[in-house]
Order: sequence, then structure tokens, then C-alpha cells
Amino acid sequence: MARVAEEDERAFSELVRRYQGRVTNLVSRVLNDRECADDLAQEVFVRVFVHRRNYRRGSKLSTWVFTIAANLAKNEIRRRVRRRNWFSLDALQEVLKDSSSVLADPTEGRERTLEREQFQQEIGRAITTIPEKYRLSLVLRDIEGLAYEDIAVVLGIPGGTVRSRINRARSMLKRKLHPLLRKEDS
Amino acid sequence: MTNCSKARRWFGAYWDDEITQAEREWLEAHFAACGRCRADYERLARTLEGLGSLPRHEAAPDFVERAVARARRAAPMADALRQPRRAWASVAVAASLLLVASTLFAPWAGRGSRPTAMRPVVPQEARLVGTTQAEAVAVPPATGVASPSTTLTQDQVAALVDSLIDHTDDVDFVLDPVRVSREHTAGRRLQPVQGQHAVVTF
Repeated sequence: MARVAEEDERAFSELVRRYQGRVTNLVSRVLNDRECADDLAQEVFVRVFVHRRNYRRGSKLSTWVFTIAANLAKNEIRRRVRRRNWFSLDALQEVLKDSSSVLADPTEGRERTLEREQFQQEIGRAITTIPEKYRLSLVLRDIEGLAYEDIAVVLGIPGGTVRSRINRARSMLKRKLHPLLRKEDS
Repeated sequence: MTNCSKARRWFGAYWDDEITQAEREWLEAHFAACGRCRADYERLARTLEGLGSLPRHEAAPDFVERAVARARRAAPMADALRQPRRAWASVAVAASLLLVASTLFAPWAGRGSRPTAMRPVVPQEARLVGTTQAEAVAVPPATGVASPSTTLTQDQVAALVDSLIDHTDDVDFVLDPVRVSREHTAGRRLQPVQGQHAVVTF
């Protein structure tokens, strides 16, 4: 990062190369929108470069990059909510209802991989119906695998709040996927 | 607190493997006894497994090149924004305005009349700098040679500058008469202090 701060372009390219996957996946999973995720992930690195001198040595670089990504994702969610151009809970429930019936159909003989893909798609959609503050904590923890302490730094909230938000988010997600899980059980 | 609600509070920590051995044994014993909690935890575990097994959305192959190009485009703007404004820039702008104004109003100054009827609106910066210019002009030049760019006399320029300034808030005062008096020796009779007259324009 010190080299990036000194406007070493090769160092910046290396930084982008190192974090591009994690940042893209984070914003993509938070927004469930791959096209927008690419643009937003690009913007994350632009901000990293523009604000490179604000990076405090001693703090984790990954945490700093994730903080920028989380803030941009948060802004994007809020912008979408304002525009009401987003996947509504009602729409999700419709999807879940439809997919439940598909999964419940024993005569179709669908392969297990297809079912898993379907399930993953539903999880992806269900994530986006969780309120933003819970969603970010959940994705950072259960998809990106960040430690609770790092999530606290990224989101700027106490560790205890991180834990309670993640527990809450997990319960919400479980509840939203309950119809699918129950059908799978049967 | 019932055993079930106690168990449910530990689900997350159990999944994260962040509970003590004693808590783990208690919870597992509870799962063995309570089918409902066991099923509930199973659903949570499958949800979180599904979450963890989501395919990763990889960045596009040209992601790095695009990001670097975009950052390169954005960086000069940001750097320019961070640079402090240079003091001389506003002085130069004000001086230019003053030069234009003196060219435009030269005929009025030549007739010795002040354009009081149509006082031009001059920006704050220009007015402040105008004061500086007036002071500078008030000092006789060392060479005594007039600038080739204008034929106005010193007094005319001073009058012009003066006409551009709004004098409603002016304050008249004498600059530090005490300091002037201290310059005299103690044994000598003090001369009447003339002071230095100044007008401050706000």
C-alpha cells in the first residue's frame, strides 16, 4: 500500500488483482446483481486509489478495502430503495412458492445439481430481501468469511452488535428459505 | 429461560465453533432429547452451508486494466481538489478585473468626475485587492516613469480605484500613534504625533 500511495501503478495493479475477486463477490452477493457489481467493484478500487493517502498503516488493508466496498454497496442499496427499483419481498415470495413446487415435484426426476443450483439462486435472492445492515454483516461473515472483529471494523460498529446482527440475519434467512428447506426434508 | 430458548441462543456460536466444551456437550445432549431444536438447527446449518457454497462471482478478465485506467482518470481530479487554493490566483484575477475596469472608466477619470450615478458591482475579492492596489499606487514610484499601458496619472488611478470601492463600511483610524511616539528619545521634547492615516475597507 505504501507503494500505491507513492503512485506506483504496478503496485496498484497488484492490489486490484489481489482483491478483485473478493470485492466483486461481496458487492455481487449483497446486491444480487452481477452487472452492477462489476461497475461498483471498479468504483471501489478507484476510491482506494484516490484516497490512498488516507490509509493508515498498521490497519489491515483488506479491512480498509472492504470498508470502502461495504459503504458503496450500502449507498447502492439505499439508492435502489429510493428508486423502488428492487426485488420486492412479494416477488421473492412468489419465486419461493414457484420453486417450492418445482422442488416438490417427485416425478420430474431433476438432477441433484439442478436442485442445488436452484437452491443457491433462491439463497441469492433471499439475501437481498434482508435489511441492509443485517445483509452486509451476513455476507461479510458467511460468504466472505471475515472474523467478527474485522466486520466490526469494516462496519464501524461494536463486536457485540456484529454478533447480534449476524444471528438475526441468519434467522431471517432461515425463515425465508423455510418453505424450500421443508420441501427438501420431505 | 427454557432449555429450548437457551439452546437456540447458542445455535450461531455452535455453528461458528465459538462455544466452550461444556456448552457444546450440553447443546448436543439437548439435541438428542429435543427433536424440534435439532430440526431447527439442521435448517440453520443447511441455510449456512448453502450460503457458504454459493458460487463465487469472479471479476471479469479485463477488470484490472479497466480499474487502473479508471483510477488514473479519477486521480488527477481528486488531487486537484485536494490542493489548497493559491493565494496569488485570486490576486491575479482581481488585478485583471482592475485593469479592465480602469480601461473602461478612463474617460470618466479624465474629466475628473467620479461615476457615482452608476457604481459598478465589484466582487469582494476585487474590492479587497483594490485597496491594496490603491495603497501601492499611493506610494511614489522610484523611477517616476508612468506605465506604458496607461496614460492616467497617479491621482486619476487612485480616484478610479476609489470609485470602485464601496465606502459605506469604511473605518478611519490612526495607525499606532504610540509606536510613533516611542521612537523619540526620552530627554527630547515630544513632537506632535502626526500618526499615519489609514482607511480600511470591508
